This record gives sequence, structure tokens and C-alpha cells, in this order.
Amino acid sequence: MSAPAVAIDRLTKRYGSLTAVDDLTLTVAPGEVVGFLGPNGAGKTTTIRTLLGFLRPTSGSCAVLGSWPGRDVAVRRRIGYLPGDFRVEPAMTAHHLFAWYARLRGVGLDRARELCERLDLDPTRRFGTLSKGNRQKVGLVQAFLHDPDVLVLDEPTTGLDPVVQREFLAMVDEAARRGAAVLFSSHVLPEVERVADRIAIIRGGRLVTMSTVDDLLDQARHRLELRYAAPVPDGLLDGVPGVVRADVDGYRLTVVVDGPVGPVLRAAASRDGLVRIDTVGDELEDLFLAEVR
Amino acid sequence: MLSVLAHAVRRRRIGLIGWSLGLLGTVALLAVAYPTVRGNHELDRTFAGLSPGVRQLLGLADGGGLTSPVGYLNSQFFANLLPVMLLVFAIGAASWSIAGDEAAGTLELLLANPVSRVRVAYARLVALVALLAVLTVVSGAGLVAMAPATGLTTGLTWPHLIAATVAGALMALSYATVAFVVGAATGSRPLALGVASTLAVLGYLVEGLAAAVPALRPVRSVTPWHWLIDSDPLRHGLTWQAWLLPLAVAVVLGALGAALFARRDLR
Repeated sequence: MSAPAVAIDRLTKRYGSLTAVDDLTLTVAPGEVVGFLGPNGAGKTTTIRTLLGFLRPTSGSCAVLGSWPGRDVAVRRRIGYLPGDFRVEPAMTAHHLFAWYARLRGVGLDRARELCERLDLDPTRRFGTLSKGNRQKVGLVQAFLHDPDVLVLDEPTTGLDPVVQREFLAMVDEAARRGAAVLFSSHVLPEVERVADRIAIIRGGRLVTMSTVDDLLDQARHRLELRYAAPVPDGLLDGVPGVVRADVDGYRLTVVVDGPVGPVLRAAASRDGLVRIDTVGDELEDLFLAEVR
Repeated sequence: MLSVLAHAVRRRRIGLIGWSLGLLGTVALLAVAYPTVRGNHELDRTFAGLSPGVRQLLGLADGGGLTSPVGYLNSQFFANLLPVMLLVFAIGAASWSIAGDEAAGTLELLLANPVSRVRVAYARLVALVALLAVLTVVSGAGLVAMAPATGLTTGLTWPHLIAATVAGALMALSYATVAFVVGAATGSRPLALGVASTLAVLGYLVEGLAAAVPALRPVRSVTPWHWLIDSDPLRHGLTWQAWLLPLAVAVVLGALGAALFARRDLR
């Protein structure tokens, strides 16, 4: 395996008595996409902001391409960063921002133009007049416009509609294919599972899981929603292996499954009138419950 | 660096136009009102009876009357209105330059680019000086252009008018760098505004009270207000006290602000 493009080593960040990040170790190799998951307030943003050099580590270290961007200004040229709360002065146009940042990073504007077209963004409008989704597109374009070697994206899909979201995931995929390392934070698993090679889960500032997406999905609890043509009796799934919880609400049965879903589906289908099955996210909270047990 | 500087100036351009018009309007009003004041010697007698402290604050310490161009300009403009207008503008701009931008969430994005915090801090400081310089030029040029028409410059030379304008701007700059250093060190815009404004108001009060309260004189001698009013640049030109001291304060605080900004966590 090649030297990691992002290396976070035993990072701790404290604010007074509050420990926001606790002894966290995480690497991202070139060409790898790592999904950085955790509930709100888990320390994802603090980790990312320390990695970028906006905050100083209390102990431990972090490096991008061998040096810490807080000290090494030049390495920032090779980083594309999207903050969790992306904001631009309301009076500035996206075009102005792209031109300015492209100049600071020493690249042209061709790529920015191409990305605007791809995401269907009109760069001539002032930031203050844009919708939430369009603002987020501005953030994406500025992060990708210099084809960086490392992409650090803090909840990048916030406010994007599904079409743009798909386009964005394709952009991440392409970046990884040309060798970029991508660290991609989110609080929901389905968003990252399609593009991520590995998933890191952080909770209370500590890394609780680091595994491949496949392994994680094998371990993950599942939440299924079953709809019937007639009211469901209580206790339909009693005694079925893997059922953690089953809630009946009229025609609908919501069930949380730990492990293989086969037995549950067999039991569910044994009752006449099963109309449809929906997978309702693999909710992170459920995953966490599994992790900390 | 240049693009960061250009951006900081550009962002204030609307405000700058407003302040320029305000200063020009003030200067025009002063010039238009002067002929009425000039003939009113009752005013001179009234002001002669004021305490030395108040006379000092009004820039009348040398015994000049209110109706003379020097007395009129000092008491109505150079010892109060102009420095205060420049102060309000400069403190506002300075507390925005790092802390305001940081609170708005737009500074972090810039610092993800290959540009160091120290350079951003200096660019913002230079932008502040440039903005203040524009207002200084506008005010000075307005005065030089409008005042002669109503006899307001009789006995005054251009260099002294310019000197008084520049001295006011430097005084404002010294307090603005207080806002800059507090904002750079803490990232709090309200704190930057509060500390700088409080110091400026206290400086003005101390300057007024010190004539009557000898105990305050040592304090007075370290305030930019005193350096401005005591040196009376409209009469004596740009003495070292009027330009070197505030400039030294600005340079030291500016460098301190940049250094502190480079060594702390962003908010």
C-alpha cells in the first residue's frame, strides 16, 4: 500500500474540559474514498478542521501529503475542501469566487466551467440570491476546480437533490480513479456506501469502527418496513431469529434485524397480503447500538 | 496577497462611497456656515469664559477665538467631528477585517487556499489603511476645494489643512488597530468593537478632564487623542507627536495582531 495521503495519528483535541476528538487514528490512501460517519456532534467537523489546520491538535498529529496544512501553506494547493457550513459573502458571484481561488491555487478556470455545466450551476448569480442546493454546488465546484490530490468534504450532499447527488458521487468516483484521496463525512450510511472503500465511524470523539463497506453492511442492523393488505396482528415475528424490534402500526410493520434477513422475510411472507417491503436506511444509530454493545 | 487585498477593499466600496459623501457634506456645511460665525464676536466672548479643559478639547487652547478660521475649524471639525467620523469608520472596518469575516464563516474557506494567515492579516491591514487613506484624501481635498470660497482658509496654508486631516486619520488608525488586534487574537467582533470604542471614548474623556484633574495627566500623555489635540496640527503642521506616535502604535499592534492570529484556533 502506498504512503497515506491523509494521516491522522492519535489526534486529540480538547476545549477546556471538553474532549471533542479523542485519540483518533485514521488514514486515507491515494485513490481511496473513506466515509467518515458519526452522529451530529461526534467530532467529525473538529477532526476535519484540525486536519486542515484551522485548529491546532492538543496532542497527536495530522498530515496531508506528509505535512500539516496549518504550517505548510503550499500543500493547501493540493487540497480541495468543502466546509460543513459553506458560506460565501452574499454579494459575491460564484464566478468571482472561482476566479479568485483558481488564481490562488495557480490553475485556470476551464475545470470550473466544466463543473458548473455538469452541475447545472449559473455562476454569474450572486451567492446571496442562490437556493440552498445551488449554494452547495458552488461549494463543490470550488473544492474540485483544481483537481486536487486530496479532497476533504464535510457533509457534502447537504441540500442537494437526488440528481445532483448522483452527479456528485460520480465526481468523487472519478477523482478517486485518477488517484485522489477522499475523506467524506456524513451522518447517514447510504449516502457514502456507494462510493466509499472504507468507513470510519466516530462517536463521542472516538473511532468506534474502521472497516470496509461490505464488512460493515454484513454487521449492520437492517430496518425493514413491511406493508400488508390487511391489519397486522401483534406478535407476527415473535421468536424469529435476528429480530431486535418489531413495531406494528395498522397495516404496517417496522422491524429492526440484526444479521441475515432471510428468516424474517420467510416469516413475514408466511402471512398472506404482504404488499411491499422497503429498506428504511441502515440507520447509523442502529449501527452504533450494535457497535457499542 | 494582492487579490486578498483587492477583495478586502472591494467589499467595502459601497460603504466607502457613503462615508466619502458624508465627509464632503460635512465639509460643505462647515464652509457654508462660516460667514455667519465669523461676524459673531459674542461667540468669542462666550467661549473665552470656558474652562481650559473644554477649550483644550475644542482645539482653542492657544487662546484663538472661535471666529478665526483656525478656531472655527479646530472646534467644529478637526478636534472632534473629523476624528470621530474616521474613528467610527476605521474601528468598524478593522473589527470586521478578521473577526467579522471569521464569524460570517467566510474566512476559513479563504484559509484553505495556499495563502498564510499572516499574509491575510497584513493584506486586511493594508486594506484598512487604503480605505482610511481614501477618506483622508476626500476630506482634505474637499476642504481645500470648498473652504476658500467662504474665507475659511484665510491665514491657513494647504499643508496645515492636510496635516490636520492626516493627523486625524492617524489617530483613528491607532484605535482601529486596537480593534484589529483584539479581533485577530480572539475572533470576536463584538469584543474588538467594544474594546476599541471604549478606549477611544475614554481617551477623549481623559483628554478633556486632565486639564482640571492633574492626576490624569500621565494617563493623558499615552492617548492618541492627546497626541492629536495637543500637537494642534492645524497651527503647527504635522509634528512628530501627531504622526509618529499613532503610526508606531498602529505598526506594533498590526504586527502583534498578525502574529497572534497565526497562532490560534479559528472559531
